[in-house]
Amino acid sequence: MGRRRRQVREEASAWAAAGTRTLPDAIAALSRSLPAGPSPEIFRRAKFDRPEAAPELWRLLFRVLSPLLADRAAASPGLGAQACWVKAVLCYHGYPRSALAQLPEDGSQGSRELLLALSWLLARGPLLEWLLAQTCVQLGDQVPTFEYEVLAIPRLAAPQMDAEGPVDIRHLQWLMGKLHFRWQNLISIQQEQCALLSKGSAVLSRGCFFLPAAIGDRSVPSRACHFADGMEGPAALCHTPQIHTYTFGCHSDQNLGHLSVTETETLRDPEGSQQLLQVLEQENARLEAALEWRRYELVFWQWMDTVLGACPPEDPSVPSFQPRIPEHGRGKLELVARELQALKEELQVLQKLLHEEVLSRRQAWETRVGALGHGPEWSTSRQDLQQAVEQELLALQQSWKQDRYPSLPRRRHRLVKIEAGAAGAQGLPVAEVIRGLKSQEASLEVVLCQLQGQCRQELARLVGTMPGLIWILPPGR
Amino acid sequence: MAVMLPADCARRLVSELQGALDVCAERQRQLEQSLRVSRRLLQAWEPAGTTAVEPPPGSETKKEDPSPACTSNPQDLKEMELLTQALEKAIRVRKGISKSGERGRTPSLKSGSIAISSGTTASALPQSSSRAAHYSSRTRPMKGIHQTTVPTKGHAEHRLPLVRNRSHVGLGAQATRLELNHGKKMTLSPAHHTAETFTLKEKGTLLKLPLAFRKAASRNSCLWTQLNSTQTNDSTDATSAAKTQFLQKMQISSSTSSSKFSAVEIEMETQRLQKACALLRRRMQEELSAAPVDWMQEYQCLLILEGLQTMAQQYLHKVQELCTALTEQLPGSNLMGRPLQASLPSGGHVCTSWGPQLLLYSSTQQLKTLGTLRLRVAMLEQQIHLEKVLMAELLPIVSTQEPQGQPWLALCRAAHSLLCEGGERFLTVLREDPAD
Repeated sequence: MGRRRRQVREEASAWAAAGTRTLPDAIAALSRSLPAGPSPEIFRRAKFDRPEAAPELWRLLFRVLSPLLADRAAASPGLGAQACWVKAVLCYHGYPRSALAQLPEDGSQGSRELLLALSWLLARGPLLEWLLAQTCVQLGDQVPTFEYEVLAIPRLAAPQMDAEGPVDIRHLQWLMGKLHFRWQNLISIQQEQCALLSKGSAVLSRGCFFLPAAIGDRSVPSRACHFADGMEGPAALCHTPQIHTYTFGCHSDQNLGHLSVTETETLRDPEGSQQLLQVLEQENARLEAALEWRRYELVFWQWMDTVLGACPPEDPSVPSFQPRIPEHGRGKLELVARELQALKEELQVLQKLLHEEVLSRRQAWETRVGALGHGPEWSTSRQDLQQAVEQELLALQQSWKQDRYPSLPRRRHRLVKIEAGAAGAQGLPVAEVIRGLKSQEASLEVVLCQLQGQCRQELARLVGTMPGLIWILPPGR
Repeated sequence: MAVMLPADCARRLVSELQGALDVCAERQRQLEQSLRVSRRLLQAWEPAGTTAVEPPPGSETKKEDPSPACTSNPQDLKEMELLTQALEKAIRVRKGISKSGERGRTPSLKSGSIAISSGTTASALPQSSSRAAHYSSRTRPMKGIHQTTVPTKGHAEHRLPLVRNRSHVGLGAQATRLELNHGKKMTLSPAHHTAETFTLKEKGTLLKLPLAFRKAASRNSCLWTQLNSTQTNDSTDATSAAKTQFLQKMQISSSTSSSKFSAVEIEMETQRLQKACALLRRRMQEELSAAPVDWMQEYQCLLILEGLQTMAQQYLHKVQELCTALTEQLPGSNLMGRPLQASLPSGGHVCTSWGPQLLLYSSTQQLKTLGTLRLRVAMLEQQIHLEKVLMAELLPIVSTQEPQGQPWLALCRAAHSLLCEGGERFLTVLREDPAD
């Protein structure tokens, strides 16, 4: 009892020590702006490393580190798996304290370490903004993107082992073929669908035409029935413009003009609209909290200073042991090591080539210029040239640091239909994105070809050791 | 010829490929889902808002709601028509009764219609009648506005969602028409049914989002704008100083040496260097293949090549640095395949904007191209990832196995196909008979 009272007093004084009454406000704002943020009380207990605060903080960190996973996964992994994941991800991102890695993986301890980890994430970048952007309500129409993250969770929870023991390489080939087929299917469906669009619009204009339900009956293969009514197929993007055209001028926001599919759907389905409204209001509340947090943030950092001060410094003599990594023994970094090695070799080759070229050209140039002699205008144009080249090289060096063209924004975007040639609209023209994607496509093709070429060389080297065999390459490349 | 891969290698490869397949499946699911929505929107709208649950005819949603499929064959349709007529008659009779009755008749009328329905063959229920029963019970708690102008007769009850809808949709003309419908349309045949619907094409421009929704949405975009606006208050500098100080203190208190690169940084830098190297190579090839026409161009070419040489040197230096950092990293942080992209915001990361960005398009063709290219790029990214994984797993196996015998040949052939031909083609191996 006495201990508890002391604790409370301590806490109260600690909060008061932070200076003003705004510390609880700051923490409350932080909590409200986080996805499923814990109560401010949890933060308070975490300062004293109370074990009861730990599970919630592990869960919070898991959500923070993989917002998309946590939102969409049907079955969230157990606390142990979450803790394991959190450790691995933080380590991967260079989290400095090894105390975290040493925490037990049942998620029962370490609330103070977890508070420090959360603060570390908050301190090093705009975490709240990023989180909000990751999980924001999407009212507009998007170009579908691939989210690898979404699929990682089931395997995180229970590593999927289709194959125990050795596997015939033909199984891999079969999987590869299946994958190839899936892709072809996706692409061709999209293309066919787009081709059918003009026919489809005839049906659409008689939109109230009542098709017998049999057409959509399950017994009919779905692809066949898609084409029977001339407008099915998974390429919703192709329907989007129609909806945009038909609702032109409906949006209260002048910049947007028309309704999106989601917005139109809310009108058709008022129940869904209520849900969407609710989610939107929740997001608004989180946004407001994030803005409030910015006002009070400073107090929080002052308080965190005292939290950090309460931690015993880590003993450097204790060997830091790394977190156990779920899955993938041969990790990403080993791939990176290979890539670096390949890069090194390539650069060495390039450098050698450049060195030789420059040497011979420089010599040739010197002799020629020596023979011509130099006038005064020569030196000015030479300076101009040097400057121009410098600029160009600088631009080249900069260009890889940022994308040459705006590629498809990873962040939230909204497709807006404009009249062809209309000027003054705010936003990124799709034509530019297409250019970006084309150049991305081209460079990816080059990379893939290079990798395949490397493999060809490597295999040729390996089989070259074996006499008496003739290798006939398949035709077509 | 069976070539067995060792268990751990097989497990990794199978899980990678399975993951890739899952991504594709998920992608298809997403596309189909959003297509269903768009497609439903482009079809006739049920003014009563009943389409929320009722799948549009002929759509895939049939899978989820098999009941309407019962009325699918011509025989059923015919029966449905007959039944509809019977129901119409029943309603006329009931209308006669209710004329003398008080207003509170409606519930009993409704339940009456249910009674009729359940009394007849359940499978052949006319869609709208079953829906009427369904909806009147379902949507009752939600009805906001009671339309007093419509006489409470027959199936007026099930039109209530429409009234609610009108307030949402805000279609003046539409509402009038629908009110008229109330007065007249007591029948339930599909033919009449169609007369009450409208399409987005006809009425789309009259749609208006509900006020509450508009308010929330505009508040939302306003908040995003605020979030994006750079902080201008005085505390900004103090806050960022406090954060920096916190990070420094944390680094000092930790036992690990502040290694220069974290795993994620190494990865990102490597990617960037790859890009840089590709650009450098392309520029060099351009320069080498150019034929200068005058001395100016020749000189320029020389200068550029010299510049590229310096750049190559710098990149090489950077690669060395990363290699060193990687060896410090490797023992512990063998982390994961794809999950968690290097997307967490990090120090020095200056994000310009978080809110939605508008993407402007003017033609359907543009969207088609965009969609196809996006697919293509995603596919290539996946292929490259798989290629790297396969290289890392298969090449060592090929090189460590004793190069002889059938299994080895089969392995080489399979590896060649997977690694060099994307699994699509095979090479042929001929064995020269030593006797020849």
